[in-house]
Amino acid sequence: MKVVEAQAAVLSNYEVLQHLTQQKDRYKQRKRRGPPNLETVVRELIQYLQSYPNPLSQKPSTYTPGCISQLLERLSPYELSKGEVVMILNLRPASVAALNTVIEEMSERFSDEQQEEMVNIILEVLGQFEAAQPDANGNADEAAES
Amino acid sequence: MFILTKFSDLVQISPEDFSKHSIVAIEDNINAKYANKVVQKIGLCISLYDVLWTSEGLIGHGTGLVNVNVEFRMIVFRPFKGEVMLGRIRSSTPSGIHLRTDFFDDIFIPYEELPQGAEYNHSEQIWIWNFDEERLFYDNHEMVRFQVIDEEWHDQTPAGPTQAEDTPAKTPYKIKGSMAAEGLGVCLWWDGA
Repeated sequence: MKVVEAQAAVLSNYEVLQHLTQQKDRYKQRKRRGPPNLETVVRELIQYLQSYPNPLSQKPSTYTPGCISQLLERLSPYELSKGEVVMILNLRPASVAALNTVIEEMSERFSDEQQEEMVNIILEVLGQFEAAQPDANGNADEAAES
Repeated sequence: MFILTKFSDLVQISPEDFSKHSIVAIEDNINAKYANKVVQKIGLCISLYDVLWTSEGLIGHGTGLVNVNVEFRMIVFRPFKGEVMLGRIRSSTPSGIHLRTDFFDDIFIPYEELPQGAEYNHSEQIWIWNFDEERLFYDNHEMVRFQVIDEEWHDQTPAGPTQAEDTPAKTPYKIKGSMAAEGLGVCLWWDGA
């Protein structure tokens, strides 16, 4: 084994999920299974990516292949770093407070209006959860709260 | 959270796999070797992404194995420092909180990375954050947001006979996180408001 390039590219959660579901469909079509270790990690990873509050858990999915480039284009005036944009894609911060966790020194770099604008762009491009989340995980969380 | 890493490796296809298409045999072989395994200083390998190049298959003397040199890219789990991720609380101890995700278990938040006012409750064995007269609980199985601050690698290669036999096995890849910043911690606290 030789590592040719430690980091050839960065993938967002959406792209990984896309690849894994395609791979799963392909296996199903040909009626074959991958090695057991692959089956385990793929099953667990899909489960992780599709559990609330991960944005990919939303059905029907608000993510499309075009939304990554669209988001990059709309957020380009703010000069965010690559890592920050990947986190926005993965976590879809829905409020200024949530955005604050993924953007470093946000209050110094951006005015309050700019922060609001970014949240709105994220909301428009990536969508958002319905106000009430009646799925299984949502219920479990409510039970824990009461 | 995920990266692509380019590897080159020698793939050996055994005769019982000759009925498969070569590319399928190569794919299975690589996945069997890498999937769900940690490569030191690279990360946790998930799955083959694509095959970039393969050599001709060569059969050596003595075995029926077909040897192919392959260059390929793997999907690898390797969150960068400063990345914010979701995880679940696995257990709490006075030294900190252990987190896990469905596919990766070794995430630790040391007590000094919890927000100010956090205290450990020995009878319940959980951490509690006292914030504005309110007691917020870090319950087990609660979904939390945390930030990656450090990583730890332990090579699993045996050190030889000098190694003491009862040394506990260390996990190959461990992530250290923080929940001190605003917006981090149990998701419910921030999203519910």
